Amino acid sequence: MRRLRSAIPALIPLVVVTAAAELAVRYGLVKSYLVPAPSSVLRAMIESRVELLGALLTTSTSALVGFLLSTVAGIAIAVFLSSSRAIQRAFYPYAVFFQTVPIIAIAPLLVIWFGYGMRTVVASAFVVSIFPVIANTLSGILSTEPALRDLFRLYGASTPVTLWKLRFPAALPQILTGLRVASGLAVIGAIVGEFIGGQGLGSVVDVARTQQRVDKVFAAVLLASVLGLALFGLINLVSYVTLRRWHQSEQA
Amino acid sequence: MNRRHFVLAGSAALLAACGKSPGKIRLALNWKPDPQFGGFYAAPYQSHGLDVEILPGGAGTPTIQMVGAGSAEFGVVSADELVIARSQGNDVVALFAVFQNNPQGIMVHASRKLNSLGDLLKSGGTVALQRGLPYARLLEKQFGFEKVKIVPSPGGDISAFLADKNFAQQCFIMSEPLTAKHQGADVQVFPVSETGYNPYTTVLTTSGDFLRKNPDRAKAMVAAVREGWRAYLDDPKPTDQRMNQLNPSMAPEVFAEVAEAQKPFIETDEARRNGLGSMTKERWEALIAQLKGLGDIQKAPAAEECYRAL
Repeated sequence: MRRLRSAIPALIPLVVVTAAAELAVRYGLVKSYLVPAPSSVLRAMIESRVELLGALLTTSTSALVGFLLSTVAGIAIAVFLSSSRAIQRAFYPYAVFFQTVPIIAIAPLLVIWFGYGMRTVVASAFVVSIFPVIANTLSGILSTEPALRDLFRLYGASTPVTLWKLRFPAALPQILTGLRVASGLAVIGAIVGEFIGGQGLGSVVDVARTQQRVDKVFAAVLLASVLGLALFGLINLVSYVTLRRWHQSEQA
Repeated sequence: MNRRHFVLAGSAALLAACGKSPGKIRLALNWKPDPQFGGFYAAPYQSHGLDVEILPGGAGTPTIQMVGAGSAEFGVVSADELVIARSQGNDVVALFAVFQNNPQGIMVHASRKLNSLGDLLKSGGTVALQRGLPYARLLEKQFGFEKVKIVPSPGGDISAFLADKNFAQQCFIMSEPLTAKHQGADVQVFPVSETGYNPYTTVLTTSGDFLRKNPDRAKAMVAAVREGWRAYLDDPKPTDQRMNQLNPSMAPEVFAEVAEAQKPFIETDEARRNGLGSMTKERWEALIAQLKGLGDIQKAPAAEECYRAL
């Protein structure tokens, strides 16, 4: 019950904006071929439910695979970078490349490297979502409390042990922040990849746009945000499970 | 600033304001400046009392929505887009159809020795096309897509085509095939109009609202555009140079080649008889019936509402 009540503040803007959009279209303030009425988006969703759900499933798979790859690779790269100052200086600037790469511009190349279909979409999701994982993990690993580090050294703990038992767990809150950012980006990356590589919600949006079906475009976009929210929720769950016993952020 | 300067500055501002606000007309294109818009760039707008700003577009520029919403007074669209828009309550009207025949086609490698679009769709391989376009669904209905892999159209990019002999792609007959030939590919093109689907394309369009309120300016616009296309067909060179500056990604010799290759689509026998850009009720009716049959529109707009001869 308390959970339900805590959802009310988030529902108010939803209800107000939806109602306003519906009325604005009904009374002709906004033309329906520019902004569709929420009711027509709902209708498009129901009419095309089979197509949309299939597309959602495809996009979810690609986004999830891309996201998992960037989680694993991102953490591994960050651990590698944290091993010495010299390595960091040598390679970190290249990691920044991932953040600045204009995915729209290189997406056609991805198609040539990976072919049409899922591999291109996964690659696109991976490329856009890896940087926040690297950056946050690295900063987390590097900001271990000095006193605790000294304690480990005093007891003669080896570097791998210190990493596994101290630095990594201590960095977890920041790693999870990186993953939250990455999850949304992975969905965006997957959809951009699908514009070029075919399949999924990206393809539905592309086709619907050509057909001037604004309602269907919005229906697909809405499902994409549901996917983003679901991923976000998943990471919050992981965060709750792993942090609630010792970190302030999950104890409030 | 002394007083005389102040007066001068003031009247200059006033003049600028007068010259700008009432007359400014925006023409939204659906692609970058290239020969398919040559006549629009060559048109002598000023001698018809018009101050026209041309807004280049790109992939997915929603020109038809822009015209409907009034964020551009005129736009360039294709006839099928216009019919779909009208059936959804977007009051847009065609005024001048540059391409009398649909220049869209599918290009394949000649080494595959295919004879028709039906042949292509039965022979496997990859076909890149915009699935949302009505002709794509017409092909699907006629021949089926089971044997081929359909992928999104890469726009004007032909690298996948060059890399794969079994790759076919949607193109403008006078554009991508020429680029592919330049790069050493042996190209064969099947026009989409082969299937019987032949909408007017690169159509100058305005909103019903603008047409009612400014009939004289719409008329002046059409006259200027018609003169522009006449001039461009006769001598594309000066205009090509101007467009090339705006769109340097296309080589000057390609501009010249495309301008030449597109002529038969623009100056057809019918256009010679009835004037450049002219349209007929029969063609609109046929298109509307096709779109109805394909399920692109639920209710058919009246053909005579879709276009206006000015």
